[in-house]
Amino acid sequence: MISLAGRDILHSWGKFVLTGVGLGLLIGATLTMAGVYRGMVDDARVLLTNSGADIWVVQKDTQGPYAESSSIRDDVYRGLLGMPGVAQAANVTYLTMQVRHGARESRSMVVGFEPGQPGEPGYLVAGRRLLRGHFEAIADVKTGFKLGERIRIRRHEYQVVGLTRRMVSSGGDPMVFIPLKDAQEAQFLKDNDAIVADRARTAANPALNRPGVPGLLDAVTASQTINHSVNAVLVKVGAGDTAESVAREIRRWKHLQAYTREQMEEILIAKLIATSARQIGMFLAILTVVSAAIVAFIIYTMTLGKIREIAVLKLIGTRNRTIAGMILQQALGLGLIGFIVGKISATLWAPAFPKYVLLETADAMRALVVVMVVCALASTLAIRAALKVDPATAIGG
Amino acid sequence: MDDGIHIEGLSKRYGEGDTAVDALKEVNMRIAPGEVVGLVGPSGSGKTTLLKCLGAVIEPTRGRMTLGGEVIYDSAQGGWKTPDLRALRRDRIGFIFQAPYLIPFLDVTDNVALLPMLAGRANADSRTRALDLLQALDVAHRARARPSELSGGEQQRVSIARALANQPPVILADEPTAPLDSERALAVVRILNQMASQYQTAIIVVTHDEKIIPTFKRIYHIRDGRTVEEAGEGRDIP
Repeated sequence: MISLAGRDILHSWGKFVLTGVGLGLLIGATLTMAGVYRGMVDDARVLLTNSGADIWVVQKDTQGPYAESSSIRDDVYRGLLGMPGVAQAANVTYLTMQVRHGARESRSMVVGFEPGQPGEPGYLVAGRRLLRGHFEAIADVKTGFKLGERIRIRRHEYQVVGLTRRMVSSGGDPMVFIPLKDAQEAQFLKDNDAIVADRARTAANPALNRPGVPGLLDAVTASQTINHSVNAVLVKVGAGDTAESVAREIRRWKHLQAYTREQMEEILIAKLIATSARQIGMFLAILTVVSAAIVAFIIYTMTLGKIREIAVLKLIGTRNRTIAGMILQQALGLGLIGFIVGKISATLWAPAFPKYVLLETADAMRALVVVMVVCALASTLAIRAALKVDPATAIGG
Repeated sequence: MDDGIHIEGLSKRYGEGDTAVDALKEVNMRIAPGEVVGLVGPSGSGKTTLLKCLGAVIEPTRGRMTLGGEVIYDSAQGGWKTPDLRALRRDRIGFIFQAPYLIPFLDVTDNVALLPMLAGRANADSRTRALDLLQALDVAHRARARPSELSGGEQQRVSIARALANQPPVILADEPTAPLDSERALAVVRILNQMASQYQTAIIVVTHDEKIIPTFKRIYHIRDGRTVEEAGEGRDIP
């Protein structure tokens, strides 16, 4: 028996392909939405991996440094280094801000780190590591900065000496790494007018400016211009110790919050991007319904256009299941064309997205199954219409 | 044994009670194998209803029908003799329509071969049979063409080939010359006569077409659901 569906598709392939392309673009958008979510999850994991830490020590009762603001003193790491199981401990700061380069700006997460310690970018794709103590930067390629370019962070200019890749915040902002001291200053540095105003306010305070205590005002003013805060301390655990046991000791003795890799991943994925995931889930659901409606409408319209032929087929003895099979195969064929176009489209346009889009084969396979099921369900309307056709309508005009 | 078509006391009533309409009233017809008869009547006279009853697409209210020597319907014995009317239509009745209604996505050969395939014959056998018929109807040179590439006359010849594909004892032709000019209409009737004779098929041609009515040797006039048989002119077709 010949394939009626196959022949019909070949006969009107232009219509099929155009419809399939339309559907495919919709499927491509759906795959991309899934890829955006996967990219966010992957970015979070890469962020944690590239930080090189086993434990994140942050301000007590906070979920910092990525999910909430956290501020701890920058000498805390010394105490941590003395604890059993701690091999390395280093201060880091994180601040999302606008980094200027000439006339344009890039929204970036500025990371302050100590060279050679946890928090340093794991690898470079170009350039070198920081060698000077100030005013050098390593930027993620997504910032668009080039080696040797000068960028402005707050009041100072930095030269880009290295480029790294896949170093973005949980919000997708590319990272710019600068020395810790510079980052602390950048995070808390006030402009000149604010400093002058603060000094005047301090001088006007009789408690801080006592005539009988020379040098007090100068000491208070000096303390206000120096910052000793960082956002977190990254800890590397020594061989033979587990991150959980060391984190437990830090929580117990240091009155700080300490998160292991698993806990930090939980915060990033289950809490920080949970709303985005739900948002994407809603989009996926809507796109699925829209795709189903489009397939149902197209197949139904195509079937209505063949009512006379279907009546003739039934009159000359074609079984209902042959006719139903023809419509079902056409719907599945349309879905297959749509899926192929969608997969190709998503693969082509994913790199152009500002945030990382991760297209996983498993997601594509799941999408193929969903597309086929949706197409099969969508064809039922058309099959119903075809099976209702009375063969008698072929006779008598 | 009644070969060809034999209809006795066939009636069809639509609706019930006060709104009932008797579309066919005690219709009697007998058409021998190889014979072509005309069924002529005004609109609403019952032609289409008779064709639908003969084509096993609607059930008569009363009567008896025999096709190719086999009783297919007898109201006195419970109605249809087979529950599978689809198979009955496929294997024992050929249809030719006012418009050819060929399947647009199949080529000429497969349009004809589809019926034997539906009946379970092998694809190769079905296509061989189709090509033989196309040869007989002088359209074999268009075997690979799509219906949309054929002229009206060629399409109608292909639809005749399709009607003959399963070698049915009966062909029902519903105004097969309506869309054709005189020359082509007469050519179609000539072909129907040839095919009826060659394959010993009884053919009923429902028509309004004044050009072809004089060519029938026998004509059934139908009016208000009743048929009257009369001899036709049986003019030779040039």
